[in-house]
Amino acid sequence: MHAARNLRLCTKDCVCLFICPTGATNTENGQIDFEKCLDGCRLCVDACSSGAIYLVSSTYPKPQPKEEGVVKAIFDLARSKAEQEDVARSISEASDDAALRQICSVFEQSSRIIGEDLWRESGYIIAQSEATRTLLKTMIKEHGNLEGFPLEEVEELLSRLS
Amino acid sequence: MDADVRQMTWTELEALCTNLEKACSKQLRGEEAAAFAKLASFYGAKKEVKDNASIADLVALINADLSEGYARANKEAAAANDRGAKRALLWGEKSSKLLKSLLARYEKQGAALTENTGVFVCEICGFVYVGEAPPDICPICKVPSFKIHPVRKEAI
Ligand code: SF4
Ligand code: SF4
Repeated sequence: MHAARNLRLCTKDCVCLFICPTGATNTENGQIDFEKCLDGCRLCVDACSSGAIYLVSSTYPKPQPKEEGVVKAIFDLARSKAEQEDVARSISEASDDAALRQICSVFEQSSRIIGEDLWRESGYIIAQSEATRTLLKTMIKEHGNLEGFPLEEVEELLSRLS
Repeated sequence: MDADVRQMTWTELEALCTNLEKACSKQLRGEEAAAFAKLASFYGAKKEVKDNASIADLVALINADLSEGYARANKEAAAANDRGAKRALLWGEKSSKLLKSLLARYEKQGAALTENTGVFVCEICGFVYVGEAPPDICPICKVPSFKIHPVRKEAI
């Protein structure tokens, strides 16, 4: 567990600066130095009158198991949203009409956001899960030998998420 | 039940990865987020362009979502009493209806629809808005307007 600062809420009153026993709150980039933070002693969290500091967990509970019927129906919708992104992008790429391209771009962006939210609720809400690890392993197996596949990064990711 | 990587299109794989990228960013896990972003762009670079794609294809797909896809998923989510799924489906269905109406309006009015006005997308739920400025609070997911972004008209 470590503290983190919401830079949007921080009003720079600097109460946290002298309260932190390790100086973790005093950094160049404005964010807290996670390495220096004492496993979330939370002195700064309680002292900040702007409510700008919170604690980030290092472990999360397992995601709730999902019913197969729900997941299947959501996967189908996510597929349809991805297809719509493809169609919108294809229309856009074949056209030089700025207004049409704008509409297609809106369609593409919105479909992606809806799609991502569907993936979230079909068992991929956090990365530290069995489902995500299985996904990454299958990606390595199926696509690991394709040109440009970021194999090192994915292997590193797997070890970080274990 | 896991996503079947072998059956998924490049775009689906990309969207699943950008979702996980966001999940890691929310937990301030920058390096994990960067790795998912890299994986997403690997898949993104493979996306194919469909020949003869048209607005009519988009209309057909979104109509199918609204008449069948969401109905089926809503029923499953209600039967399983899956709160998370019900929430995502509610937002997604509302945003899909707005996308459908955006297409209908564009088909009717053409370039005049956006001639002197902006178009905005909510980065949280996909809400779409045509007008001068977005609402203060997203009417679908209730996020404040700093998460609702303009999509610009770009000349080539
Ligand atoms: S106490 Fe809160 S508002 Fe003040 S500098 Fe620290 S984080 Fe920012
Ligand atoms: S939780 Fe404690 S150690 Fe960590 S930054 Fe805040 S005051 Fe410093």
